[in-house]
Amino acid sequence: MTMRRATGWSMSALFPVMVLAVVALADESIVNSKHDLSMRGPGPIRAVHEDEICVFCHTPHNAAPQTPLWNRANPRTFYRIYESSTTDARIDQPSGPSKMCLACHDGSMALGNVLTRPDTHPIVMTARTIPPGSADLSSDLSDDHPIGFRYDRALSNVDRQIRAPEIVSVKLPLGAHREMQCTTCHDPHNNELGDFLRITDEMSAMCVACHDMDGWEVSSHAMSGKRTMGRVVDPGERLKYANVRDNGCMSCHKIHSAPHPERLLRFEREEEGCLNCHSGGVANFNIAADIGKRASHEVERRTGVHDPAENPFTMRRHVECVDCHNPHSVRHNPIGTVRGTFGQTVKGPNLNVPGVAISGGYRNEAMFVYELCFKCHGDSTSRPRLNTSRQVSQTNVRLEFQVSNPSFHPVAGPRRSPDSMSLISPLRPGSIITCTDCHNSDNARSMGGSGANGPHGSMFESLLVRNYETNDYTTESAQAYALCYGCHSRESILGDESFPSHRRHIVDFQTPCNVCHDPHGVYRGQANSVNHSNLINFDLSVVMPADTPEGRRTVYEDTGTLSGSCTLTCHGFTHIGFPYANSAGGSSARVRNYSMGANR
Amino acid sequence: MRPSGITVCFCVLAFAAIGGWALGGIEGSKHDFSNQDWSGGDACSVCHTATSEEPTATPLWDENADLNRTFGTPLEQSKRAGMGTIICLRCHDGTIARDTFGGAERERFVNREHPGLHTAGHGTSEHPVGVDYPRIDRGYRPASSVTASGTVQLPDGKVECSSCHDPHNMSDQKYMLVMSNTRSALCLTCHRK
Repeated sequence: MTMRRATGWSMSALFPVMVLAVVALADESIVNSKHDLSMRGPGPIRAVHEDEICVFCHTPHNAAPQTPLWNRANPRTFYRIYESSTTDARIDQPSGPSKMCLACHDGSMALGNVLTRPDTHPIVMTARTIPPGSADLSSDLSDDHPIGFRYDRALSNVDRQIRAPEIVSVKLPLGAHREMQCTTCHDPHNNELGDFLRITDEMSAMCVACHDMDGWEVSSHAMSGKRTMGRVVDPGERLKYANVRDNGCMSCHKIHSAPHPERLLRFEREEEGCLNCHSGGVANFNIAADIGKRASHEVERRTGVHDPAENPFTMRRHVECVDCHNPHSVRHNPIGTVRGTFGQTVKGPNLNVPGVAISGGYRNEAMFVYELCFKCHGDSTSRPRLNTSRQVSQTNVRLEFQVSNPSFHPVAGPRRSPDSMSLISPLRPGSIITCTDCHNSDNARSMGGSGANGPHGSMFESLLVRNYETNDYTTESAQAYALCYGCHSRESILGDESFPSHRRHIVDFQTPCNVCHDPHGVYRGQANSVNHSNLINFDLSVVMPADTPEGRRTVYEDTGTLSGSCTLTCHGFTHIGFPYANSAGGSSARVRNYSMGANR
Repeated sequence: MRPSGITVCFCVLAFAAIGGWALGGIEGSKHDFSNQDWSGGDACSVCHTATSEEPTATPLWDENADLNRTFGTPLEQSKRAGMGTIICLRCHDGTIARDTFGGAERERFVNREHPGLHTAGHGTSEHPVGVDYPRIDRGYRPASSVTASGTVQLPDGKVECSSCHDPHNMSDQKYMLVMSNTRSALCLTCHRK
């Protein structure tokens, strides 16, 4: 009885151990892995007669003079190596163990050619060389993760997004001269984790062992549990894991044979990698739908122009998602539904993106939202042109928003004009707004919609968040100038609280706001505070000169608070020194709760 | 049910056939030099010289050779090879091999013209011999499991030629291996790959 019990115990204790041992043997060994090329190997590529496993790479005697007892000749291929505008590593032709891997994986050498067999009698294989496919890296290594560069302190000191080599896991061995090799990531004998990886790529564990991207650990892309099951990322390839977090880097990047070589991206077109998820289905918002609207940042328009190392002042014209977003650092915008005064600094979605400051200086990390805009709409030689031809013509938006200008919308700094009585609370003289208060997707959450915040695309011209009619003879309505009325009370404007002839101009003579006012600002280098206060900068397609004794003139003159005069011809009426003054405007009439949006 | 006479007979015959196939021996093998005129006419005296009644494992030929030399191996820890290696390299290293027995002509047996183990001393081309079997290394199986079956032996805990090769060809495997290397079984006896 005792014996039987003891036997039963030992059996029941042993059984799981035996099962585990068998499983471990199957997973951890080259036997029955894809690298088992013997005639009984599991893959489609195997020997026809040869039943040994090690012989395809190793021989105990007369091996090639390189460890470990190598049984293959090295390929003589000259490889096209990886190049990138952002790498600090010096990348050389592959050497050492990598060359050994390439003896099969560059697709040039016969698999059965081993040193212990004469060239005339190689091991007969089901395929002479590695057939085209994911295992065939070809002689073009420019679309593969770089190897053959020295990974040392010198590198990690220059590139702060690379970890110091001392703290990289010991599971990832470098070559004899501390250089990156195929074998740093891959263990050719152990396919336990798939792809012969030494560390799992789940949750980017393999990548982040060396790469330390700013803000990655807490980024949305590292933490999102959004399901990606079955999402096709590449022709014929699907993401390996079930959600964004687990796929991690692999959601966007491809380590070998990447369609976008320089950035090792899964898609050749930069925006496709983003829109693959941000088009409904995976991410919350359908950005692709916004991009498809009438006015948008047309990320699909150009390919291969954007470069992370580009000089914003001289770059060729383009826009890509990554011009405003850093996919390694993006975070959910926690205050996405609050607009205006809280929003002038960059938030989660725009963290760690370069910008151009109001002073014109380049910033590695934009601090304010407008700094992102100034990259392309400021000093850049490829900046877009404006729609309205004005007295003072300026296409450099950065100059238009200088706080020393005669007048400007308070984006880069506050403006305390005594003439601003129409503002709707909580806005008041001294408030700061952002570019995205006017230029935004028409369904942005911050404007009461249900879509993503940010100027992705809008049904309104100039990527404006609300309607803004600029055609002459527009019938006034809350809708026609919805953009302006979002901040400037329609009651106040049409009640003539500031300029006493607003109603007459806008309603009676159907003149759009845009005809007299330049919405951005008037640059001090071209204008003075007498002629261009109150954002006055006439639309020359509507406002004509008036014949005066001094000649033909189009001029506005500020003569003090809420008073001035005009000399011009408009709608057939000639004003010569036509004065106005408003003493009725005052604090009592300033703030009205005139509501047009949902978030007031 | 009792086995019938025919079954028993068949089993015996099959066993004999398998046994006959498995049982090799030096006779007729590449190590059988008995029909060479320099060999003295028998298969043993090429390696074994009977100075007394008993043949000894330590041949007495080439007294000037340095038996304690370090043979070239890829590994730093390569130490003095044991007898399981030295005896082999007497012929197979292609440098000191002399037919210095029985007063025959001096001749190199294995050299570059006769491919074999001719690069001893050139390190990385040959599997290490005369090295201690790794004790705590995840890449290797425990020595106890290697030698458990008695087929692969680690004399004094070292890897020698005789760990893998049987010069007497008793298993009748190619390259006179101690066991079949089908599915690289011999390699994987030690290597956990």
